[in-house]
Amino acid sequence: MSEYQVLGVRTPRTDALLEASGQVVYGADISYPNMLYAAARYSDYAHARILSVDVSEAERSPGVRAVITAKDVPVNRFGYKFQDQPVLADDKVYCKQDAIAVVAAETEAQAQLAAEKIRVEYEPLEPVLDPVEGMRDEVLVHEGTSNTVARIKIRKGDVEAGLAASDRIVEEEFTTQKVEHVPLEPHVALSELRPDGQLVITTSTSRAFAYITQLLKILQLDMTQLRVLTPPVGGAFGGKNDVSLEPWVALITLKTGRPAKMVFSRKEEFYSTLRHPYRMKYKTGLKKDGTILARKIEIISNSGPYVCLGKDTLTKASVHAAGPYNIPNISVDSYLVYTNSALGGAMRGFGVPQVAFAHEVHTDTIAHELGMDPVEFRRKNLFFDRGEGATGQLLDSRAMRATFERALELEKASGTGRGGTRA
Amino acid sequence: MSEKVAVSFKINGKEVTLLALPEQSLLRLLRENGYVEVKCGCEEGDCGTCTVLLDGLSVKSCVTPACACQGHEVWTVTGLSLQDHIGQLLRNNFAKYGASQCGFCTPGMMVTGVNYLMNGGTADRHAIRAAISGNLCRCTGYKKIIDAIFYTAEELQKEAAG
Repeated sequence: MSEYQVLGVRTPRTDALLEASGQVVYGADISYPNMLYAAARYSDYAHARILSVDVSEAERSPGVRAVITAKDVPVNRFGYKFQDQPVLADDKVYCKQDAIAVVAAETEAQAQLAAEKIRVEYEPLEPVLDPVEGMRDEVLVHEGTSNTVARIKIRKGDVEAGLAASDRIVEEEFTTQKVEHVPLEPHVALSELRPDGQLVITTSTSRAFAYITQLLKILQLDMTQLRVLTPPVGGAFGGKNDVSLEPWVALITLKTGRPAKMVFSRKEEFYSTLRHPYRMKYKTGLKKDGTILARKIEIISNSGPYVCLGKDTLTKASVHAAGPYNIPNISVDSYLVYTNSALGGAMRGFGVPQVAFAHEVHTDTIAHELGMDPVEFRRKNLFFDRGEGATGQLLDSRAMRATFERALELEKASGTGRGGTRA
Repeated sequence: MSEKVAVSFKINGKEVTLLALPEQSLLRLLRENGYVEVKCGCEEGDCGTCTVLLDGLSVKSCVTPACACQGHEVWTVTGLSLQDHIGQLLRNNFAKYGASQCGFCTPGMMVTGVNYLMNGGTADRHAIRAAISGNLCRCTGYKKIIDAIFYTAEELQKEAAG
């Protein structure tokens, strides 16, 4: 028993019993009377000019009440910091996950059937799929804009002098892949007009206020005309941070006056944002005794066709890229590059898992090349009681030593460790 | 589009007659008729959140044809956790051991857990792991779900021992 009423006392969540009896109402569980169902038509190309969009056959399809295209969107570009993402494709499609039109029908099946009847004429363009090639700007994702859309530069000490003074240089390159969050609950959004004329959007996100800011601009409404409600969310992990299907249902409701609902299929869930793939170059200069003198890092992030949260994740990755090690001279140069592959966004760790993978494998490699035990190498260089990061931030890390020693104890107890040096 | 047909079956102990399309899944039919405690995660038989009991066996309702349920008996998480003794115990232990986080896989996990315990499943972590292997969870890392089923099995063993 704890001597306190709250601290140290196991507190069951107030909604746990409801969850365990299936009584929590998620977005997809909500229905309105007289509701329309929406289905999107996605691009057939990663990069193409749209010559024409013919929705006439879809409009005549059974049960269809509205077809929404770019022409219906009041402001067709959005994004938190860079407003570069269309709600619906207009002159070009920038990736295969871009939607071109959205159909509203009396049933979901009717909407899906009609979406297939939309005829799109394209002029296919060369796609930029590799960000390293993309940096050459031979093919531009957004005309008139360099594919290198953002750069982050961090300098601590003098990295070239540190490398020059080193006894040994270790260089490595790492790549990571796209990762989808795969929440059990797919994205869902509903919209309805209240009798007082207020538009209410109910959506599976935890970022109601970030969404309101963007939706007000897209829909050209004032703050009294829009509410965003967030029901319980069935997992997000960063994947439900970005506006996607909300303006579609809203535009259907504004056009028809009727409530609308859209739920992503599992396939569409993979069309939403992914963890950015990074290509990371590490160069570390060391003294013979294992002291790290300098670390030079280059990171190239595949943003997909829009910035979204790409610059923010890359900033965090850059700050953490050198790892929790005492290094007097650091340089980090990071580049966010537009491509025509799937859009990157937030995901657990926000850019740090990519660099953590790189700096820890790199640490093992260095220890191996120096003929040192990787545990001893870390013990020598880790931020233990106090450290200074790449940006000069002082880190007062009393938990590091205890965590490090406990991890070693657990490894030993489990008998699964690879026991020091690399085989 | 095909005509709807009447399907009569028992759900959570109650006789119902619902109108289903011949190609409709049990999941779609249930959700259309207000049984929204049965969740849709993937609709291809992979994630397991739509799991229900059909004649005492756990099935994925998204790949079970609705019309095939004519004359059969279906239990959902709500029926089991409110009306069935094992379901009630497991529900309490899901809450006690923090076995649900976002809660979206929970309806399927609960049904699969009840199915395991109803069929004599014991407090054996390996067997529990195998039993829930058809249900995906993205939040918990499974440990707390396994704990909840494990401690319910222990309680049931104590009850049986009198």
